[in-house]
Amino acid sequence: MNFTTLRRLAALAALAAPLAAAAASPAALPRDVQARIEAGRPARVARVERQLRASATAMGLGPADALVADSSFTDEGGRTVIHLVHRHAGARVLGSQLVVHVEPDGTTRTIGRGLAAGIVLPGGPTITPEAAAAAARARLAARGPLASEPTVERIVFPTRFRSETFDPALGRSTVRRGSYASAATGLAPFVWAYRVHLEVRNALDGAGEWFYVVHGDTGEILRTDDLLRRATAAVGTGDGHFAGQVTLDTSLMNDGTYALLDTTRGTQPNPGLVYFADDGSGWVPTGMQVWWEEHDGTGASTWNTFLFQGNAANAWGDGQPLDLITYGNEASPNGQTAGVDVMVGLRTAWDFFGHVFGRSGLDGNGTTASGTAICTGFTQADNAWWSIGSHQGFFGAGTWPRFDDGVDAATDLDVVAHEATHGVTSPSWDRYFVNGAGYEEAGLDEGTSDFFSEMVEIWAGRAGGDPDDAVPATPGDGQIGRTFLRTGPLRWFDRPSKDGRSPDAWFDGMRYMDGHFSAGPLNRALYLLARGASANPADDTHSVYLPAGMTGIGNDSAARIWYRAITEYLVPDLTGSLTFDDARQAALDAATDLFAAGSGEVAAVEDAFAAVNVGPAHGGPPRVKVSFAPWRGVDWISLQYTDGPTRQFLPRGENLRPRVTVENASNTDVTWSLGGPSMWNGAEYFVQAGGTIEADGTWTTPYQMGWHAVTATSVADPSQFAEGRVSLINMDMDSDLEQDATDMAELSYSWYLSNGLNPSHSVYIAPWVDDEDVSAFVDALRTAWPVP
Amino acid sequence: MRSFPLSAALAAALLAGCSSGSSRASSLAYTDPPAASGWRLVRDPSSSASRLVLALVGPAGTLTRGVGLNIQAPPGVRFATFDGGLAVEEGGVYDLRSVDDDPAEPLAIAAGLKEGNVLSAGVFQKDRRRSAKDSGATLLRVALEIDPSTGPLSGSAVTLRVLRAAAIPEDIGQAGDPPFVLARKLALTELDVAVGTLEAK
Repeated sequence: MNFTTLRRLAALAALAAPLAAAAASPAALPRDVQARIEAGRPARVARVERQLRASATAMGLGPADALVADSSFTDEGGRTVIHLVHRHAGARVLGSQLVVHVEPDGTTRTIGRGLAAGIVLPGGPTITPEAAAAAARARLAARGPLASEPTVERIVFPTRFRSETFDPALGRSTVRRGSYASAATGLAPFVWAYRVHLEVRNALDGAGEWFYVVHGDTGEILRTDDLLRRATAAVGTGDGHFAGQVTLDTSLMNDGTYALLDTTRGTQPNPGLVYFADDGSGWVPTGMQVWWEEHDGTGASTWNTFLFQGNAANAWGDGQPLDLITYGNEASPNGQTAGVDVMVGLRTAWDFFGHVFGRSGLDGNGTTASGTAICTGFTQADNAWWSIGSHQGFFGAGTWPRFDDGVDAATDLDVVAHEATHGVTSPSWDRYFVNGAGYEEAGLDEGTSDFFSEMVEIWAGRAGGDPDDAVPATPGDGQIGRTFLRTGPLRWFDRPSKDGRSPDAWFDGMRYMDGHFSAGPLNRALYLLARGASANPADDTHSVYLPAGMTGIGNDSAARIWYRAITEYLVPDLTGSLTFDDARQAALDAATDLFAAGSGEVAAVEDAFAAVNVGPAHGGPPRVKVSFAPWRGVDWISLQYTDGPTRQFLPRGENLRPRVTVENASNTDVTWSLGGPSMWNGAEYFVQAGGTIEADGTWTTPYQMGWHAVTATSVADPSQFAEGRVSLINMDMDSDLEQDATDMAELSYSWYLSNGLNPSHSVYIAPWVDDEDVSAFVDALRTAWPVP
Repeated sequence: MRSFPLSAALAAALLAGCSSGSSRASSLAYTDPPAASGWRLVRDPSSSASRLVLALVGPAGTLTRGVGLNIQAPPGVRFATFDGGLAVEEGGVYDLRSVDDDPAEPLAIAAGLKEGNVLSAGVFQKDRRRSAKDSGATLLRVALEIDPSTGPLSGSAVTLRVLRAAAIPEDIGQAGDPPFVLARKLALTELDVAVGTLEAK
């Protein structure tokens, strides 16, 4: 203890002595008495200030020092509480203050650690406030804009005081407001300084608010105070419906309870949470976390979301499915169960990509991933999805067993890992896979999530002693949604068609499927790459496109090839243009990088993709290919629609043939059939199979308009086929029962005409005619009745 | 009725006899219709020895916004395409683009070969903001060629028929007209097209 401190304490004792010791706080006084005491508060404040001025010298204060009442109030017991700040030459002396209690009987007590005495500071700071603000901004190095203009206050900074705050009742630091950043030896006990307030609240920096203390002469940053109240990392226990008994990385919040907030995973704030206001609970948008969604007791509505928090024991879940019907059950131990499973799934996926591939978080930048357990609405509560913009997954807490619609909660590891992988392939709106029916890219997106979900499961099940940075060679379950459907897996890897919807191999037209089904060929290719394909036709891994089978290269090599492919080669251009051919090439490039050209791994990639009808097998010849090739030049429809070049328009109720291309075969004949696989597998549109097909391939189109699917199969190689889309349109604008070029006249004079328009002037029988009508009519006339 | 199998030798003799008097034509000769006015198909100067190009010409002073026709050629005479693959060519009279003049916009010009060797072709202005044009010029062209394997015999007359022709008239109402007025005016003008004589050579 140094001399200055001794002198301060002695002075405070001297102040306290004539005022006598305070008694315990009395009970609440009658309101009229309280009011009378409150009325005398200004006088009491003035009296205390006078007393302190009289004791200034004894307290080590000089002529430039003053203790100024900053605030005061009277409590219900009649005590006046006065907060006084220490000012030197008008500037606040940081950390030097007094709190004085004046009881109703006039007795006074001082509360405080002491005053900064003996300040000798002639003049003032030599750098400008603007320079101080610039120094603080340089230290912050914000990437986005400030939320407000910096404020700068001239202060006196005691360079040797301590700032840690410790709550002995809780036995921990309850509010971590920053670190003591100065203690630079050689500094004078007090220096002139500036206190600069900076605040950010944007997607680049997240939410943050700081005070920087800047040396008034040198511009050095003496201290940084982080004003956001942050939680403290803790470890709890969980009982998941799927995960079982687990430990959880949680947080101790400012109120002494715990939250499913894992500050050990995530260095950047979550973009979907960054705009939430700091509520003082200790919550921060940085750190993996799981929220729940409130429902109204019927599961039908109410869309408020809350962090799983307020848990005093840090023990989460009861291992049971959510009892959906009970209002408010989401926050109970039963409701926490889904949160436990989501947290386990998210962290496992996070750790998988981190340990195996060295990836920082899902997006590669350490951005916080979060999850929400959905309890509202059957279609949501029994489903799961990933939000690119908010970098968070939504996982249905399930309506079973209260409502048995055949599905359980969507919170098992493979489901959560599947969605989390979308955070890898689509980390932001600057880089994402287009995932909608109409694009092969959708299948690549979903297949990648399926594949890495399987790898995450295998990695999570590694035995003790297995390295963390490799995917074990053990076989996985080869399934997706193993527990989600109560009747069996959602999807299979070895033979995707076992679900009755997914194709085992690529064909032209697969893009019309929902990506979860068109994922089938990629799932199978990567599975076979890892585990091999059988030559036995009875085996589920056998492929007619690779009848001799192949030897797998193992989980780890397959995972590394595909991870490299999707992160370094298969780069989406935001238009949905990626195809399975692109995927094959990306995998070949990645395998060549990792294992060298001509390696067995590269050959295995060729064979694995060949097994799903994408490219030739290693050393094999090109395959027969049937396709609804791009028939158009650059016309209006080709510019309007991604699949425009292959769209075909034909008149309804006519005898005709769609156009198709057969490559790599001398016999280009095809057999036609109505409909196609995508009709039952998430077709892009409402698609029909109508009309009749004659033996010679002549299609008598039905009178019903709209999209129709037709399938052309190669005569030369019946394993090759293509599904095409034809839009049957009205071409009889003049209603003379003939569909010919003169009908185009009525279409033309109705162009962009809405009033007085006969709907039959539209190819769609619509009250509007525009360029799509013109383009479709011209295309249909030429296609239906080509001039040789 | 009894039938007798036709021997290969007899069949060959009959075929030889059929072709002994004349040979198949290799070109088409066309004489314009006598009418000097009205709607008519006339020989276009771009025709060649092997390719007959016919131009649809209307009466001078008649304003239209587009024409279409269904024209039937006899067996062995086929319709041909122009540069760009279309079996119809515009005459340069109509403004096929909208006033916005978007290079990518679709144009209402098309042709298809329907059953019975009927070419259905049309060229139309789609934008009512474009003015109607004088029809007294070549409005569209179609091309004919002899199929050397199935074409008619040289010297034989062949018939070319216009099954239907129609034009968009000048008055198609205004977009702001009451619907019942507009609906009455949205009607095509049926055309009587004079066709000349066609001879296979």
